[in-house]
Amino acid sequence: MLVRRCVAGDAAAWEEIVRTYNRRIYNICYRFAGSASDAEDLTQEVFIKMYRTLSSYDSSKGAFVTWVTTITRNLLVDHFRKTKQDRLTDSIDAPVSAQEDAQPLSEQIQDQSAPPDQRVRSREVGESVHAALSKLSPELREAVILRDLQDFDYREIATVLKVPEGTVKSRINRGRAELARLLQRTYRQVM
Amino acid sequence: MPDHTSNGMQCHEFDLLLTDMLDGVLGGAQLDAFQAHARSCSVCGPLLAEVEAGRNWLKGLTEVEPPAGLVNNILASTTGVDSQRLRVNVAAQPQFSWWERVQAWISGAMQPVWATVRQPRFAMSFGMAFFSLSVALSMLGVKPADLRQISLRPAAIRHTFYNTQARIVRYYDNIRLVYELQAAASKIRRNVRPAEPGPAKPKEHKNDTTEQPEQKQERNYSQSDHQFLLAGAPLGPSVVYPLNQDLPVVSVTTYRRFV
Ligand SMILES: [Zn+2]
Repeated sequence: MLVRRCVAGDAAAWEEIVRTYNRRIYNICYRFAGSASDAEDLTQEVFIKMYRTLSSYDSSKGAFVTWVTTITRNLLVDHFRKTKQDRLTDSIDAPVSAQEDAQPLSEQIQDQSAPPDQRVRSREVGESVHAALSKLSPELREAVILRDLQDFDYREIATVLKVPEGTVKSRINRGRAELARLLQRTYRQVM
Repeated sequence: MPDHTSNGMQCHEFDLLLTDMLDGVLGGAQLDAFQAHARSCSVCGPLLAEVEAGRNWLKGLTEVEPPAGLVNNILASTTGVDSQRLRVNVAAQPQFSWWERVQAWISGAMQPVWATVRQPRFAMSFGMAFFSLSVALSMLGVKPADLRQISLRPAAIRHTFYNTQARIVRYYDNIRLVYELQAAASKIRRNVRPAEPGPAKPKEHKNDTTEQPEQKQERNYSQSDHQFLLAGAPLGPSVVYPLNQDLPVVSVTTYRRFV
């Protein structure tokens, strides 16, 4: 098994783990944290923590991907709390987010005039959905990311978030509905 | 949500079945009741439409491509080895060959330290040490050309030997100073960089105070901001700390390299 080989000091096994999971972890971090540079730092942190604690992974307690995602999610919680504090105490950090907050999402979306090129348009839609996602509360955001972007089943999400499956489903419903409300004012006429 | 019954189904039941309905696993009478409730309930009908639309927006999001250097950066920050870069560094070393010969001649006793310094991961540090030594040597009046032009007559050799012995002692002191600085620097690096310890072996884990006790409690986003940033394995073996004792704080350093 890859993890056991890695704990035994097999560098190639570790490289395989990194290559297998970096994309998934990066995407979770990117969709949750919102920025590519934060996602890159967070992904590195996730792997550093994984590397240090790999020997504590117990395959009888769950799938490796669930374990990896739990580490990722825990770091995202820490990151969220840390950046929330930074936003409160550090005004240097404020300009971008303050600007975003000052301008309603619907206006941000409408600012981007739709070009005829379909690919550009779908990229802009993607950016709008990404921006709307960052407006969701972190509890709803992580639930929809794990379900709709990462295709985890409810039981796996419940394990990662350490809440009952019913709570997971309820958060997914609320997250999806909230996202639709943020987006539909702008896109109702074109969808 | 106002919890009234419409078409034999309550709103909270409807809410619980929403995900199943959208996953397509709802059938039979349950699906009929669900759809009837959606048509008749002024709250749940629009909710269904919103949830479905939200899911469709999210499903339309494509995966993003991680940065090109991410894997290498991860490997560098964990194992500390970026194999490709190191191979290049080793290949670029031949200009040190005369220095390696002089160094071997100066002292065999330096060999263990030298072996450590020659490890690829010290290549950069070695470069710095090399330049420092080059400067020190030229300040003491020794040039590579001098070494080639040393007279080989026995008397001249003896003369040169005693004459340079004093210098060599000074070189040695300089070298030792540099290596002591190197050793100190690498010790600091070992403490700072997560790369060094490697994956912890299970038996070491229990005594490893840099690790953090298992997080049994739910992590949420509204916990006190004054808490320390704790790094730990969610499923790791638990290490129990007394409640009044400060939990260990692990600082994590990530760095971006431009490869
Ligand atoms: Zn209802």
